[in-house]
Amino acid sequence: MGNSQLQIGMANIAFRSLLVGLGIVVPLLLMANRAKRMRRIVAALIAVCSLAAAMAGATALFQHTAIRIELSVVTPFPFVLTLDQLSAFFLLLIGSAATPVAIFSASYFELHYSDQLRNWIWGFVSLFLLSMIVVVTASTIFAFLFAWELMTLVSAGLVLMEGDSPERSHNVFIYLLMMHAGAAAVAASFFLFLPFSHTQDFEGIRFSLATVPLGTRTAIFVLAFAGFGVKAGIIPLHLWLPRAHPIAPSPVSALMSGIMLKTAVYGLVRFAFDFLGGGPWWSGYVVLLIAAVTALLGILYAIAEHDLKRLLAYSSVENIGIIFLGLGTSLIFAAHHNFVGAALALTAALMHAFNHALFKSLLFLGAGAVSHATHTLDLNQLGGLQRRMPATGLAMLVGCCSIAGLPLFNGFISEWLTFRSFVAGSTVLNTKTQVILPLMVGILAMIGGLAAACFVKVFGVGFLGRPRSAGAEHAEEAPFAMRASLSLLAAACVCVGIFPGILLRPLGLVIGGLIPAAGLPADIVSFTRIIPWTAAIVLGIAGMAVLLSGGKRIARTWACGLPGLTSRMQYSSTGFSKPIRFVFARVYRPERKVERLPADQPYFPVSVSYSSVRTTSWERAIYRPFVDLFISIAYQLRRLQTGNIQVYLLYIFLALVCLLTFVRFER
Amino acid sequence: MKLVINLLQALMLILGAPLVRGVISRVKARLQRRRGASIWRPYSDLFKLLRKEDLVPPTSSVVFRIAPALLLGATACVAAFVPVVWPIGLLASRGDLFLLVYFLAFGRFFLSLGAFDGGSAFGGMGASREALVSSLAETPFLLALTAIAILASHADISGMIGWTLQQSFFNISTVHILAFTSLAMVVLAETGRMPIDNPTTHLELTMIHEAMVLEYSGPSLALIEAASAVKLHAMLALLIGLFMPWGMASSYSGGELGLAFIFYAAKVAGLIFVLALIESGVAKLRMYLVPDFLGVASALSALAVIFTMLVKR
Repeated sequence: MGNSQLQIGMANIAFRSLLVGLGIVVPLLLMANRAKRMRRIVAALIAVCSLAAAMAGATALFQHTAIRIELSVVTPFPFVLTLDQLSAFFLLLIGSAATPVAIFSASYFELHYSDQLRNWIWGFVSLFLLSMIVVVTASTIFAFLFAWELMTLVSAGLVLMEGDSPERSHNVFIYLLMMHAGAAAVAASFFLFLPFSHTQDFEGIRFSLATVPLGTRTAIFVLAFAGFGVKAGIIPLHLWLPRAHPIAPSPVSALMSGIMLKTAVYGLVRFAFDFLGGGPWWSGYVVLLIAAVTALLGILYAIAEHDLKRLLAYSSVENIGIIFLGLGTSLIFAAHHNFVGAALALTAALMHAFNHALFKSLLFLGAGAVSHATHTLDLNQLGGLQRRMPATGLAMLVGCCSIAGLPLFNGFISEWLTFRSFVAGSTVLNTKTQVILPLMVGILAMIGGLAAACFVKVFGVGFLGRPRSAGAEHAEEAPFAMRASLSLLAAACVCVGIFPGILLRPLGLVIGGLIPAAGLPADIVSFTRIIPWTAAIVLGIAGMAVLLSGGKRIARTWACGLPGLTSRMQYSSTGFSKPIRFVFARVYRPERKVERLPADQPYFPVSVSYSSVRTTSWERAIYRPFVDLFISIAYQLRRLQTGNIQVYLLYIFLALVCLLTFVRFER
Repeated sequence: MKLVINLLQALMLILGAPLVRGVISRVKARLQRRRGASIWRPYSDLFKLLRKEDLVPPTSSVVFRIAPALLLGATACVAAFVPVVWPIGLLASRGDLFLLVYFLAFGRFFLSLGAFDGGSAFGGMGASREALVSSLAETPFLLALTAIAILASHADISGMIGWTLQQSFFNISTVHILAFTSLAMVVLAETGRMPIDNPTTHLELTMIHEAMVLEYSGPSLALIEAASAVKLHAMLALLIGLFMPWGMASSYSGGELGLAFIFYAAKVAGLIFVLALIESGVAKLRMYLVPDFLGVASALSALAVIFTMLVKR
């Protein structure tokens, strides 16, 4: 008992001090202005605070009593932070991914930005982390929405750090526009609770559930799903994601993709499971369908990209789809009162959220190291980096294996849990579900296969073979801080992949708080024990084979008897994905342009240029009508503005008359 | 005792794999009215390669060197999942169908990377085609296994086989027929046999698997060849275990195990004959017809899953 008291106390202190620590970064920077030493202190402070977040989360996970911090004195509205088990899990997630990012940033920002810009970036990064931590721990409506908004604005500011060209501004505009539409939906779903709840805190919302009518509950669920869906980047609400993530500085992309998207997962889990106790009966199927589309289209778009960071952004869309597959399955199980299945699927979703935070941060940071060394992110300009940057390359290899869902790496564990929850669907007492869920195995299998293909491409084209440009040819290994942070993340990926129990056990506690009377099935637990054995077999046999195969002689690559190979003869990223793009041509609808110059001599061209763009026709077809409608309404409304003062006076008079009649007849 | 039998049958799968290959090419030769090489030829090929020099391209990295070893490790791990004479494999009682399929993907992932590391056009070409075939083959593979897993209400290979053992052969369901057909098609695609890929081709432009291993030589090539032989044998043993396991030993007695082994040998021989017949009679599919082939397999396996609902009652 005393022990747990001590742990709560420790978590409490760690949590409070990290809030203070991240909070004082901005004033520190303002005071210090341009001293280099101060920035080092700031970098160390942020790293320590992130570590404290991870530790506070890890400690609080095991405690049933929540830690409560009351900050209402400062603000006009109630502002309370509560660290319950679900929040603690996400705090752990944020801390585990943010610590390596902070270490990486210390070196990256120093090498890439001017003095003044660096102060801004560090200030924004600390605020960004703080806002995300407040989002997952907030327990009043005001605190949540405040932090949610802060998170959006600060991240938009970080995207604008590298300049404000018209294209970038346009992308940020789309980002902010969609985020605010999403925030409006989230706010609306909170406010729908207010007539029934006595207080504005989450406790009151939870208690009020019994009095909320069914229709309102449905509306709350739909609004929350749409609102958090925008933030998570589910298709078709993903438009901002591949625009905003790739243009941010790499460590910021890692924070946005690795962590910020997970706050949306947190929000949806909070609403769907904690507040509503499962949505309407059809909700799971809707989530499942949208998730499947998101994951499949996400990975198909990713595989067609050859810009490393855009590819990773689309792969984030895919992974969010996989997380939502788990959430949807869990909702279906909950609707059929199969709580063991619901727990399994929710475990899969949360575990994938955690794993994705690890390997996506790793990959984005790796992309940062690559762009630092080669000054390009175009896969078709890379190649041969494994020989030039062995430590970075090895970490990236681990990241690629993890995200491709290969066994012995962490991505496999969560995908496997998702698979198992689909198979468990055959035990639900509903004939339609019995078929739909197991069939999803096929969809996830295809997603997994395409993801493996996609990341074979990333590593094979980007890091192996011959260098495809001078930049790649003269690449040098990344500085120590970058390598250290990448290795840290890679080690975490392997560790969770081989010993999944370290994450599954605490997750069981989190799930236990959300879904009553549920534990993981026994064969799931026993399965996790076999992974280390398979690792021993694979590595043992591979090690023996390496030892036995002995010495090697270096000899030129076979060039079919011709003088030699050049790097242009290798398969490029575009070439690699061609068969898949050919088979799925209906998804991409490429727009091809061939230009021959001079135009009047088509058969004897001096130069031929070819360009092929994947059109976003699906998205266009969905969004265009809304935009057109909006603009036409705006044009109609313009007629009201005549510029004639008499007409405006008439408006005021009419408004007054309307108000007076309204007041008269209201009683 | 149990552990010994398990280890023995895993070893049998691994060590017997080149023999399966030898028999296939011998039967094929006979079907084509040639005399053919000895059935022990793959073993001597492997020994020959092991004694040869290992050549490494100058541009390659450590990935090129460890890829064959990891491929063999992962494939051997798959072999440890698949029972031969005794229905419980070394890892099969806990490791499930997803782990099995994903270890195959593990090996393929590293082989594709090794192919890229050679720095020639052919490696990338092979990897690209393999990516297409394998990403489309994953769906029918897992769906067909899922269908059986649902019927057996076990996701681990041993549980699935144990359930099938208790059924009567004459009581087979539609699900089994559909799942077997699609799984057989997947095995052809996964192991790079006709009509998806021609294992004996000498023309680089038509290669998939062979193009990936073009830069490998000596012991490294031996590891890859051994791994693909083990993969083929394990796939055949998986088909046997899931769809015709009758005859497996039910106790540890030597006689029963021996009998089970004879049954197994006969079943493998039957499958080999069918495989040789297909390979001799069918032309290789055009690259872009492979998605159609695998699409049919996917449709069959999806039907298998749908029909489980009717059969399960």
